[in-house]
Amino acid sequence: MKLNINSMTRGALFVLALLLCNFTFAQRTITGTVTDAETGESLIGANILVVGSSTGTITNFDGTYSLNVSNDAKELEFSYTGYSSQRVEIGSQTTIDVSLSAGQQLDEVVVVGYGSQKEKEITSAVTSVGAEDFNQGPITDPSQLLQGKVAGLQVYNRGGDPNGQSVIRLRGISTVGANTEPLVVVDGIIGASLDNVDPNDIENVTVLKDGSAAAIYGSRGSSGVILVTTRTGSKGKGVEFSYNGQTAVSTAFNSVPVMSPEEFVAAGGTDLGSQTDWVDEVTRMGLSNVHSLSASGGAGNTTYRVSGNYRNVDGILENSGFEQFNGRVNLSTKAFNERVSIDFNSSFTNRNSDYGFNEALRYGVLYNPTAPVLGENAPFPFASEQYGGFFETLGLFDSFNPVSIIEQNRNQGQRTEVTYGARVGYDITPNLEIAGRVAQQKTTLANREYYPTTSLFRGNATSPTRKGLAEFYDEITSFQLFEGYATYVNDIGSKSNLRVTAGYSYQQNNFESTFLSLGDFPDNSLNFGNLIEASQDLQNAGFISADRNVSPDEKIIAFFARANMTIDDAIFLNASLRREGSTKLGEDNRWGLFPALGVGVDVNRYLDLNNVDQLKVRVGYGVTGALPGPNGLSQEIRTVVNGDDGSVSTELNRAANPDLKWEEKAELNLGVEFTMGRLNATLDLYDRDISDFILERTVDAAVFGTDRRFENAGLLTTQGAELTLGYDVIRKENMIWNTGLVLSTYRTTLEEYVVPQEQRANLGAPGQNGTNMVVIREGEEIGQIWGPVFESVGEDGSPVLADLNGDGQVIGDQGNALNPDADFQVLGNGIPDLEFGWTNQLSFGDWSVNAFFRGALGHSLVNTFRAFYEPRISSQTSYNFVNTDLAEPGLTSAQFSSLYVEEADFFKLDNLTISRRFSFEKGSAIRGLTVSVTGQNLFVLTNYTGTDPEPSLVDYGSSDNGGVVDFSSPDVLSPGIDRRYSYFASRTFTLGLNLNF
Amino acid sequence: MKELFKYSLILCLGLSMSACTDLEEDLIGDITDEIVVKGINVGGPGGGEGPLTALYAELRNAGTANHGGYYSIQEITTDEMFIGAKGGDWFDGGDLIRLHQHTYTANHPFVNGAWVQTYNAIATANDNLGSGNLKDSEVAQARAVRAYFYWRLLDSYGRVKLVTELDQDPPQANRQDVFTFVETELLEALGIDEVSASMDLSNSLLGDGGSAYTMNRYGALGLLAKLYLNAEVYTGTAMYDKAEIAASYIIDSGKYVLCGEGCSVPNLGKRPRVDADPDELEGYAAVFAANNEGNPEHIFSVRYDEATGAGMNFANMNLHYSSQFTWNFQEQPWNGYATVEEFYNSYDDEDLRKEANFIVGPQLDFSGSALLDYAADDDDIQLNYTPEINELAPNSQREAGARPAKFSYKQFGRAEMDNDFPIVRLGEVYLVRAEAASRLAGNWTVAEADVNVLRARAGASEYNGTMTADEFLAERGREMFQETARRTDMIRFGKYNSEWWEKPTSEPFVNIFPIPQEQINAGGGLTQNPGY
Repeated sequence: MKLNINSMTRGALFVLALLLCNFTFAQRTITGTVTDAETGESLIGANILVVGSSTGTITNFDGTYSLNVSNDAKELEFSYTGYSSQRVEIGSQTTIDVSLSAGQQLDEVVVVGYGSQKEKEITSAVTSVGAEDFNQGPITDPSQLLQGKVAGLQVYNRGGDPNGQSVIRLRGISTVGANTEPLVVVDGIIGASLDNVDPNDIENVTVLKDGSAAAIYGSRGSSGVILVTTRTGSKGKGVEFSYNGQTAVSTAFNSVPVMSPEEFVAAGGTDLGSQTDWVDEVTRMGLSNVHSLSASGGAGNTTYRVSGNYRNVDGILENSGFEQFNGRVNLSTKAFNERVSIDFNSSFTNRNSDYGFNEALRYGVLYNPTAPVLGENAPFPFASEQYGGFFETLGLFDSFNPVSIIEQNRNQGQRTEVTYGARVGYDITPNLEIAGRVAQQKTTLANREYYPTTSLFRGNATSPTRKGLAEFYDEITSFQLFEGYATYVNDIGSKSNLRVTAGYSYQQNNFESTFLSLGDFPDNSLNFGNLIEASQDLQNAGFISADRNVSPDEKIIAFFARANMTIDDAIFLNASLRREGSTKLGEDNRWGLFPALGVGVDVNRYLDLNNVDQLKVRVGYGVTGALPGPNGLSQEIRTVVNGDDGSVSTELNRAANPDLKWEEKAELNLGVEFTMGRLNATLDLYDRDISDFILERTVDAAVFGTDRRFENAGLLTTQGAELTLGYDVIRKENMIWNTGLVLSTYRTTLEEYVVPQEQRANLGAPGQNGTNMVVIREGEEIGQIWGPVFESVGEDGSPVLADLNGDGQVIGDQGNALNPDADFQVLGNGIPDLEFGWTNQLSFGDWSVNAFFRGALGHSLVNTFRAFYEPRISSQTSYNFVNTDLAEPGLTSAQFSSLYVEEADFFKLDNLTISRRFSFEKGSAIRGLTVSVTGQNLFVLTNYTGTDPEPSLVDYGSSDNGGVVDFSSPDVLSPGIDRRYSYFASRTFTLGLNLNF
Repeated sequence: MKELFKYSLILCLGLSMSACTDLEEDLIGDITDEIVVKGINVGGPGGGEGPLTALYAELRNAGTANHGGYYSIQEITTDEMFIGAKGGDWFDGGDLIRLHQHTYTANHPFVNGAWVQTYNAIATANDNLGSGNLKDSEVAQARAVRAYFYWRLLDSYGRVKLVTELDQDPPQANRQDVFTFVETELLEALGIDEVSASMDLSNSLLGDGGSAYTMNRYGALGLLAKLYLNAEVYTGTAMYDKAEIAASYIIDSGKYVLCGEGCSVPNLGKRPRVDADPDELEGYAAVFAANNEGNPEHIFSVRYDEATGAGMNFANMNLHYSSQFTWNFQEQPWNGYATVEEFYNSYDDEDLRKEANFIVGPQLDFSGSALLDYAADDDDIQLNYTPEINELAPNSQREAGARPAKFSYKQFGRAEMDNDFPIVRLGEVYLVRAEAASRLAGNWTVAEADVNVLRARAGASEYNGTMTADEFLAERGREMFQETARRTDMIRFGKYNSEWWEKPTSEPFVNIFPIPQEQINAGGGLTQNPGY
């Protein structure tokens, strides 16, 4: 029988219903306040846990808490980041106030897979970031909250396109055939969409970095796991409201330096009689608004939080931005003497995006600065009405009036996302809980593009017959999740305990998309973008393009078990095992077995070093599997061939590989955690092997009938180090300064590959096809930019390249790039040697300042704007010339060389927030008010001449002449290419208001 | 209570156990099996390709008339055509210069492209042949078409794997074996043991004429004639006698006639307001026109169609960006391929083939007004194609070079053109016979009779005892321009390694292309050709 999630759900609910019997245990409510022992200030978000159970809560903004405990509860444990935890016997007390001391041993509880653990018991590399440490400002994508905050986690959204997706990576690439991003788990829902979580609703994010922590999640955790916990209500509280509002203005941070109209004409440019600053014409001051309102509280055993979030972000490019509404409901309750717990989360997002046209920035850079915006200002008779009134440089390749692009065309999308999940737990005994989780998510995306009959850009305005183009893309993605697991906890003596979790997980993903493209509209008098029946393409063969993709039921099924053991409160053991199967592989290779093991020792408990509060050493090893790539990986795929006589047949498109097996990642992680007074430090060293990585590679077309096939193709290793340092510089009653530094470095080596060496990343048209800028080699690190070295300008205006091997002849042509005697060398590496984030939190009285600096060192970027448009090419005199400080004025032909590879080290003040808190009398209607000002991208120190020195970790290839960039297939082996479709970086100032009432 | 729980858990697990671990992948959005749907109007314009639809489509897909593969490596390696590097435009990492100057390497993307295109076509043939769905006549067609693709490999790469079934991995064959394979396959399709004066094709499973889109006896025989003409290059053994017999058989059959006077089609490229544009294309020009389907000279041709038969992109490849407005093209051309000046000049002015094959001079738009190039290299803003070319690189002028136009352009044309591309046509068969006979006789004037037939059609003066080997090659070039014959011809005449414009002498090893490095890397045990 086919597994049907509904029947599963029904089954689970049936079981649940049977379980809902009358267990009545007396219970009571304990309230109190948690404060800092030194300053007396309340601690917000401190954890309170009933010892030996999973019952707990956190303190609210006043530092108070309220917790329902059963009568058999004996002890409460209070903990807070950076403070030593305390256990207090409950006895008959109903009010327990606690003061925690700072700088002591950490005893925080951290969410890990299928449960939580005390931080000290964790034996793997796990980093937890609370809301108070998130990046501020009008965040467009929740991953940006973490940018620079977690050692080893890379989050880059180059240029800051409000609709751009950040590239997220943990510890470098984890496979070569796809850009695999960390698994996101939101409130226990595996694979939930981060886009369906508003940044304001996030309480905490925990990042599981190494294999031993992630192994419990199996293949989907192979690239690391990001666990998101959203805010919940507090028990024993009436309704509390919180409002968060932000207003922000953004401006272009910088642009690509080009010639002024005067310089351009002096350099031989074709003078068209006007003066136009094209980049200025297509950019603007972007205004953004964020409003969030939440209501939370708790009554009896039930807590809830309901929130609504509205975001309206305008990008700095005209007609780009989005408007988003998100709603979330979190509900928790306990019943039957707290033996049954029910958690329900639901969230909904509707986002209307104006994607805009990044091409307007590209053509804004290279368009003739003497060209007029409007055709009526052309220096010669111009048929303006044919082009919507705009001027166009007809007859040029890859040249479009940027203002016309953004004014005439539309590129919009609507994404709707619904996620809901429910977890039901039942304490069979105080030591044994069984739990079931059901979750579903559905995302629909509807993208619409319309290019009117008067648009040269994609609208084909020059055509006498077939003008105008409309494109429709609709996509539905959904998943279903069912999990059941049991957890057994037992204390073995006073200082030792054992916790065992085992369960079953069923995940099913579905995808379906439909694409339709057609044109030839009569004119623009009606909204023909929506009236496809007006398309004259319907009368003509061969113009309409339609495509539909439907995935099979992609399933992951797993059985897992984990044991955590603590001995003597100082030795911690974690072990897990997961047996997982996937529909993507052939019958014989479907199932994989993935083990993990970790050991941690609180060494200082035995050494008892003076002044040292904690010294923990831990080692973790884990194996996870991964299956990057599409469905049908292992199967033969064919495409349809139509004959003109109505006959249809198929031809082979991808050959089958029944032997394809799991790609495996084995990772060894060694960590040291050290706390001494005000200093704390964590160092992680890791070594990761990705073997049998899956890649669609070129195979012998003669043998397989086609030259593409998925194979297990090689071995990738990464060694890295991550250091996190924290220091309380000042800790006085009215002044606190904490500073923290996260540093990470790694090096990924391609140990085995299908070929000894290979070039990638074609520079593209015009004129730079067959020019590959990146090389990968077996046994060498990835990310190497490869090319000849520029020496000087030759007599004919072409570049003179260096004779690197001194053999008297220069072999600098691309056809010989990989020959041993070629004069090519590594010109840089696209991956940084060192990435760092430096946080500073300073508070004095009601004021606080949060300054976050971020930087990366050792990476280079190919500045492709320069590579194409900086040489003064005589036949390009109707395009503007890029004109940076690095320009070689005599150069009249373009050829890729070291001249266009730039070191892109940078150090920036990423985020500066100044805020003031206003206090109110107890009992006043307003509980708290905070006003803040945030500046993003305030300064950047870099020598890079492009718009944004942030590393470019993936490459999407080249596009030209109005062509479309395919963002769905990133090349992860070609970092370091700054393409011409990048959005320009912006600087943003935000005024924020937080009101609790 | 506990009992109840236990039983309900067992119940749940029992109900769903099989589903709990069911991982069967049932692809519903992809095709995983071979599917053949017969045409609803078999015998229509497509000639009823039926189960061989995909195979005949491979003739279009295999780079026959577009950029980056077979066409490119056959044309711009010769003295016919070049692509100049125009500052930044069309430099493309030096790939195009390397083809022109014969410094191509195993990493050349076009050399790889041509290989992959051809083997993909062969795989489709093998797939069809292995399906068991074909009638005997279709098997014969598929084998002959596959032999044509192997002839391409034989001519270009020499030593290749002779794969005849999917998942078969034979060792790399030498050039002689590939030659023998191509010859045998064609002979078997023709139902004969050898080409001889007394051969009887009546047992052939191939058709006796009919649509040029379907491989018939004369198509297969034409391919054999071309194979034998080059046998000495391929194997060291001359077989001109067989070439002559095969060519004569086709000519003497009377099934095909040269398209000469009175053989005309409406000129689809005509601009209503430009009187110089003829209303009709006649003779040689009609053979290659956009509406050339069914031309009496076509024996075996590739069916291109703007809507249903994509793969010919000459307008984009050859014309300047602004020329879009001469023909009202749907897309902007790329300004790439142009004619080597000396080659253009080798035509007499009265030779009608000169006008048919090239576009030169100041250009007018659709309405007859001057066509402008805002980025003109010279002071004249009107687009003017000059036969003279300043240089190959780095700053070849944008308007330099006569533009190939044999496969003529039509008004409102799309990026995908409509002109059918002949692989075997009667005009070439005359040239094969002329050359084979001359070589057998050891006297080039023997060729004059056949050559003069073609000259007469073109309105050019006839040869009268003046024919030489060089003259024959030049004349063959004039007739066969843009039909991917030049490289093979120059090699057969020993001229491929000579010097010409912007091209130094090259070593003989370049007469066979390198085995693409990517294919060697694919791990099938291929070894490189000598010299690379």
